[in-house]
Amino acid sequence: MPDRDAPGGPGVDAILAPFRGIGPTLSIVIDDASGERVGGTSSDDAPADSLARDIVAGPLAGGRVVAWGSLVDTPLAVASVESLAVALGIAHTVGGAGIADVVAARRIEQELAHGRRLQRGFVSLVAPDVPGYELASHYEAAREVGGDFFDLFRMRRRGRPLSVVIADVTGKGIAAALLMAFSRPLLHAAVDNTTGPAEALERTNRILVQERHSSLFITALCATLALPSGRLRLANAGHEPPLIIPGDGSPVLSIEVEGPILGAFDSLGLFEAEIELGGGDVVLFYTDGVTDAQAASGERFEDHRLLAAIEAARSELPGHGSAAEIVESIRAAVTDFQAGVAPADDITIVAIGRRRPSVRGGRRQPPA
Amino acid sequence: MALETAVEQAHGRVPITVLALDGELDASNFTAVVETVRGLYDAGHRHLLLDLTNLRFMASSGLVALHSIVRLMHGEPPPDPESGWGALHSLGQDVALGSTQAEVQLCGAQPAVERVLVRTGLSRLFLVHPDRSSAIAAF
Repeated sequence: MPDRDAPGGPGVDAILAPFRGIGPTLSIVIDDASGERVGGTSSDDAPADSLARDIVAGPLAGGRVVAWGSLVDTPLAVASVESLAVALGIAHTVGGAGIADVVAARRIEQELAHGRRLQRGFVSLVAPDVPGYELASHYEAAREVGGDFFDLFRMRRRGRPLSVVIADVTGKGIAAALLMAFSRPLLHAAVDNTTGPAEALERTNRILVQERHSSLFITALCATLALPSGRLRLANAGHEPPLIIPGDGSPVLSIEVEGPILGAFDSLGLFEAEIELGGGDVVLFYTDGVTDAQAASGERFEDHRLLAAIEAARSELPGHGSAAEIVESIRAAVTDFQAGVAPADDITIVAIGRRRPSVRGGRRQPPA
Repeated sequence: MALETAVEQAHGRVPITVLALDGELDASNFTAVVETVRGLYDAGHRHLLLDLTNLRFMASSGLVALHSIVRLMHGEPPPDPESGWGALHSLGQDVALGSTQAEVQLCGAQPAVERVLVRTGLSRLFLVHPDRSSAIAAF
């Protein structure tokens, strides 16, 4: 909780906002900084919002709250007047909960908010510079902390291939976020130090199973892209299959190379798929937060809406479905579909498009 | 996103407890399903058939539930998905299940659910039967 001196100024209205509508049953007793009883109200006094304005903006600012009435059983002698304002806002939100619940709820909420910030830090990356290719991504966190992550980076080996990892930790909450934080660098290092995507996933799986860090599983898809050739190798551990969106307008293809989820089996027995991206081709990776997105009616977004959003980008947008256009088209379609409801699951979309050789300004790069 | 569960008894060569799932299994309710099975195991039920005929959707958290259910029915402490990081859960053993276990079997998986099971490889943990009667005969 904030423990500032008199807030005054423009912050007051924001602090008071949650008080609107609190009923007259609220009663508060306040001591000033020297401990003398200086204010308070009993049940039928002034409406809470004007009371709150007096408390926060008036001469009592900086004083101590010794008790507040009907919302609590025990006096809270340590609260500052400002923290009272904040806590009452929460009390209003949670109804007539006791102060212990209110404080606990507030603490959990703060920790989750902190977790979400941390998680975004893990997920939000500076896209690497990849001449000849266009990278686009969208990540949207769920209401509750979820476990999606993706990683795009240039590998350390000859030719500096691009590596793509997209993954989803099953389940929700802090446990999923922690496993995500644990697994992301694990996958990154595995990709950088193995001969290919399948081996990288096998190695990560072995560590997850042997070290038993969690009961949760991870779906993960791992790909490496050789830049001059456009050769894309990929392996899949239980993740949604990536899609190839051909630059010549032909139908979207799903790369169906499957394998078991990470963390459940001793070995995976993965196979790799290999395809070549030509100029104008886009490869799309996504998590199940896209296809499982739910409308208020209960209906799911599903594959056919995903494909429709891709086709809309190809037929209606100036770039005929560039990586950025496709990501934006899917994002907008999912948002419309959910109609303002916050997503229940993380949503991650990553697209990599190979630029057409004829595009000027695309700076033809010699192989590194 | 509601999920309803119903418990029934059936008799094959052994007494079979049928747990029918009706609705959508996702992050909001998978722990409740695990708790239901915990109660069944504690009450002495040892052969469980999960009837998925009316399960329209299974999110990835449903996989965690299935995995926990197998562990429970083996008399092992199920992993607690909430304790995460520091928990000393023995995932290794259930993986030793690699050969399909028989205490928990599935039936009636619809295409959307079956696709999740197959895609993630969890189907290899289970005998999956087309319908309830063939499943009961197989126990």
